[in-house]
Amino acid sequence: MPVEVILPKVDMDMSHGTLATWHATEGQLVQQGAPLFDIETDKAAMEVEAPATGYLRQVTAKVGDKVAVGTTIALLYAEGEAVEPVTAAPAAASNEGLQPTEVILPKVDMDMTHGTLAVWHVAEGAMVQQGAPLFDIETDKAAMEVEAPATGRLHYITAKIGDKVPVGSTIAYIYPEGLAAGQAPLKTSAPEVVAPPVKIATGQGTRATPAARKAVRDNGMTLDTVKGTGPLGRIQQADVVGQRAVHERPADVQAFSDWNHEPGSLHISRRQGTGKPIVLLHGFTADSQSWAPLEKALGIGSPLLRIDLPGHGKSPKRHVNNFQDLARMVVEAFDDATRDSEDIHLVGHSLGAALALALADIRPRRVASLTLIAPAGLGPEVDAAALNGIVRASRVESLAPWLRRLTATPDGISDDYARAAMRARSDAQLRACQSDMAQALFPDGVQSFDLRPALKRAECPLQIVWGRSDHILPHAHGIQADGEFALHLLTGAGHIAQIECPDRVARIINRMIRSVESEG
Amino acid sequence: MNVQSNPVTSLETNARVLSYAEAIREAMAIAMQADPAVILMGEDIGVYGGAFQVTLDLIDRFGPDRVMDTPISELGGAGVAVGAALTGLKPIFEFQFSDFAMLAMEQIVNQAAKLRYMLGGEASVPVVFRMPSGSGTGAAAQHSQSIEAWFGHVPGLKVLQPSTPEDAKGMLLAALADPDPVMIFEHKLLYKTKGHVPEGSYLTPIGKALVRRTGNDLTIVAGSIMLHRALEAAEKLAAEGINIEVIDLRSIRPIDRDTILTSVRKTGKLMVVYEGVKAYGVGAEISAMVAESDAFDYLDAPILRLGAADAPVPYNPDLERASVPQVDTIEAAARRLVRREV
Repeated sequence: MPVEVILPKVDMDMSHGTLATWHATEGQLVQQGAPLFDIETDKAAMEVEAPATGYLRQVTAKVGDKVAVGTTIALLYAEGEAVEPVTAAPAAASNEGLQPTEVILPKVDMDMTHGTLAVWHVAEGAMVQQGAPLFDIETDKAAMEVEAPATGRLHYITAKIGDKVPVGSTIAYIYPEGLAAGQAPLKTSAPEVVAPPVKIATGQGTRATPAARKAVRDNGMTLDTVKGTGPLGRIQQADVVGQRAVHERPADVQAFSDWNHEPGSLHISRRQGTGKPIVLLHGFTADSQSWAPLEKALGIGSPLLRIDLPGHGKSPKRHVNNFQDLARMVVEAFDDATRDSEDIHLVGHSLGAALALALADIRPRRVASLTLIAPAGLGPEVDAAALNGIVRASRVESLAPWLRRLTATPDGISDDYARAAMRARSDAQLRACQSDMAQALFPDGVQSFDLRPALKRAECPLQIVWGRSDHILPHAHGIQADGEFALHLLTGAGHIAQIECPDRVARIINRMIRSVESEG
Repeated sequence: MNVQSNPVTSLETNARVLSYAEAIREAMAIAMQADPAVILMGEDIGVYGGAFQVTLDLIDRFGPDRVMDTPISELGGAGVAVGAALTGLKPIFEFQFSDFAMLAMEQIVNQAAKLRYMLGGEASVPVVFRMPSGSGTGAAAQHSQSIEAWFGHVPGLKVLQPSTPEDAKGMLLAALADPDPVMIFEHKLLYKTKGHVPEGSYLTPIGKALVRRTGNDLTIVAGSIMLHRALEAAEKLAAEGINIEVIDLRSIRPIDRDTILTSVRKTGKLMVVYEGVKAYGVGAEISAMVAESDAFDYLDAPILRLGAADAPVPYNPDLERASVPQVDTIEAAARRLVRREV
């Protein structure tokens, strides 16, 4: 027996695939596992390997044909095996492979023999999505909504509203896109023209929680624009909120390249004071606001100057190719912002600390002291799962579990903190931009930049503050690094010591500033 | 007497620790000391000390005139108690098992609850019924019921359910201070549990629920022993990042609408856990109350009820355990609700 070559299902919700390329020609010997053909779906292209070794015969799908999943599109014959004439074409190529789907009156009740068609939700000839409400039936006991079994256009409706129809009857057909409804399917004995069905107001008959309905009302939306992800397709509040974000931000988070590149200089915010300014560089996915607890703990004194990294906070969303690119943007912004000061105290956290180190390396005379909090760039390891999780999260439920890795213990992140963090990340384009940046800086979950040479070269008073329970960047990087710096290891602190224990971090920074300024 | 709110019971403090039974006894002793009108009535509450040793030595301290053993006739005993209350005494009547209150329904429902109304407000019935209730003791179907919802259906009664020793004492004193009949359902399995109990006299406000644990993901309303099971389940789920708000119902009638609705507006999800049979129970009342209120619009999932199986409480210990909500069943249901699987 020849082996059938079948169009595989390569995608969860794929019903058809387009044959893109044959890698072998009719009659050719192909080896099992060798590429045999390529298919394309709406979402992806994929190479399919030969299921067996043999001669390719009876190819029924041409390049460009749209073929239903599971269709046999060719046969592989073993050496010497007789090629049998095809009795029934294993698959009809092109549109002939597409079959209309029967719409059947289902048995929704144990002892039901007939159902009365109560309403059609879709008109003859209209498009319907698989799973969308198609019609309602009523039995002696219950009324029930029936969903469309396939996506396509509804044709040949044989049951009118009010008709009592035996269970199992075909009452209409759904024609897939690309298949003309020229001729009635065989089973349709007497397709009759049915009066246009009653039009149903949108949103009726949709499963949605009260909270989701309220959210829809409050936002001036309609339920039919929202896709439910709850049990039975129920729309829940988060679906509405998520949908609203999509409405407001056309860019999809998943479409990483699809964000607007914005020119312009980085956003700087300042607090007045006396003495040398403290320049603050926040970490990846944070923004200047994240310094608030530390600022409060530092007390009033030195002027503060916070830089929002590109694609963060209020700074423009810029593409960066690599760490050097990013460092260049930060140095430019720094030069601009500190024109009036001779030298400054520099404080950075995580990625911001790596940038601070790079800045000190490039502008050594401008930096009076350097404090690095949980700095990146001192080793390859990084918790990529948390990084990507934070970048991708589009709602607080998906963000909070990752945020909880930032602190020493998960309870360090309150629900309010998580909600505030999500609000700051509500811009889908910002998330897309940061995702892009994560790809550039942390490819394959590795810190692609190494600042250990810069650390070793640094000559200014330098200190590193690291939480011993940092789950994002291991504090061992600080212990192993070579250079002349003070290392403060904080017990009970995680990756964001400046937020977890701002008083301790502020004391360390203030001590450094006092000692530098008394020397100066 | 001072009224004080009831913080989460804390065993860590060096505060005075009593058992639930001791706290009830202390309340009775304080009330009897302060007011000669307070008397105790019930079967075997004298020399024997009560079926669950709650009255214990009170007969020695206050004498048989004020700690009265009644014949084995719940209807008769309850009738005398109601009559005594009408004359101005403040009887505390103990049913050996709350199940036996069935025998005294006429006195509780038709007399105690109604007389103030029938007599145009000219009379009141300041009686307190103590109702040892609940399953878990292997006492089978006639001695293990949770019938508090029955009395929640009767206007004129107040129905309380203390979950901690502190509340057990405060509620009994509050019940004695109330001019109308009050039924206190004491859970048999709680009698030996311990907790902080303040010295002296204080009243636990009647009709006030208490948030025992705050959270944002789900509201669980539970009372009596179910509160403890719900709290334990909530702690387990906290390890999964699920934050559950647990409300101690405390008072079935009157019910604390505000505390429950406020919490549901916050969490959008509600589960009611109770030991009575699920159908027509406390959970049905609370579910309907929320569904009828403006908090309806905040619900983001169906309301769940966990109650006892629709069967008499089994004698077999495994079946008995399986017939009422336990920590693991509460935990599993809450997890499904929070994970939006319901």
